[in-house]
Amino acid sequence: MIGVETEAVGLGEVKVASGPGRVLVCYGLGSCVGLALYDSVARVGAMVHVVLPDSSMARGRDAPPGKYADTGVEAALAAIVKAGASRSRLTARAAGGARMLSLAGSNPKLDIGARNAEAVRAALARHGISLVAEDMGGTYGRTLQLFVDSGRLLVSTVGRGEREL
Amino acid sequence: MELQSSQWHHLEEIVAQAFADSARSLSQMTTGEIALHQPDLSFLPLNELPGIAGGPASVVVAVYLAVEGDIHGHVVLLFQPENARGLVDLLLGHPVGTCQALDEMATSALAELGNVCSSAFMTAIADRTGLEVKPSPPVVVVDMAGAILQAVAVDLYQSGEEALVVATSFNGALPGHLLLMPDTVSMARLVAALEAIR
Repeated sequence: MIGVETEAVGLGEVKVASGPGRVLVCYGLGSCVGLALYDSVARVGAMVHVVLPDSSMARGRDAPPGKYADTGVEAALAAIVKAGASRSRLTARAAGGARMLSLAGSNPKLDIGARNAEAVRAALARHGISLVAEDMGGTYGRTLQLFVDSGRLLVSTVGRGEREL
Repeated sequence: MELQSSQWHHLEEIVAQAFADSARSLSQMTTGEIALHQPDLSFLPLNELPGIAGGPASVVVAVYLAVEGDIHGHVVLLFQPENARGLVDLLLGHPVGTCQALDEMATSALAELGNVCSSAFMTAIADRTGLEVKPSPPVVVVDMAGAILQAVAVDLYQSGEEALVVATSFNGALPGHLLLMPDTVSMARLVAALEAIR
């Protein structure tokens, strides 16, 4: 029996894992996007918890690269390649980017979810990584789990069940 | 957020007044007596907020309102689902355990609770500081704490970094949290206004 070792990927974090029983998790994604990169031959996975679409929003303040879609995709790519993945074998899957609070006439900035989703797609395309599956948008939260040994990616919700990506 | 003891004291008075007003209005709305117990105030970094609700993946019931005016930001009332259902029974005058799911009636009762509490809060702030603040109509959401709080935290990420967290319990039995999340400019304005109270 192999123990399961779950590692939470917090806001703006990038994590890489390989080996049996390892699980990377983004808990409670709302407008944030959880992006999973995976090399099925090397069996290495990376996950990044993107909070905002564009690093130009940092306005010179120190922020972890994973916080923004553009720098987050770059940092996750660098980290997974460093851990032994082959760039040409990488696939990407993403979930999140929801609009949680829709008030009539509310601040459009609250629809940051759609902007995050679009920014993640654009950043992946720039780096030539194909987004093979996604579950983005909607008005509900998601938890994203990557089982690193098998590459299985599970999206769970409150009251909307689970699905594999 | 570092407050001087006098500012802290004024803030506690505002919260006490808001809670007394809320309890009075809620008791009038319902058949029974509703009391809000001993508010406990603290400031928390935005990224630690899901922790008060049991972690980012924990299911919570949130009543959300945007606030506009001299203070711009967000107000969120957070409850664990069983406490939210207990509150619905209390508000609708039903026996404990009647509310099993948050249907339309239950949701509108919670929205009204959000209206009453946030209006009382805004009125207390206006009375003591002269700052005029208006809450939007409330939205009730049941989902993961992280997902709900992200939505407001992201709006403030560029500016505000902390929320004022008021923990309380309804009739000593149903705990909940009221979060006031102004942007940085508004927080500074509020703190300055607290300073100016004589």
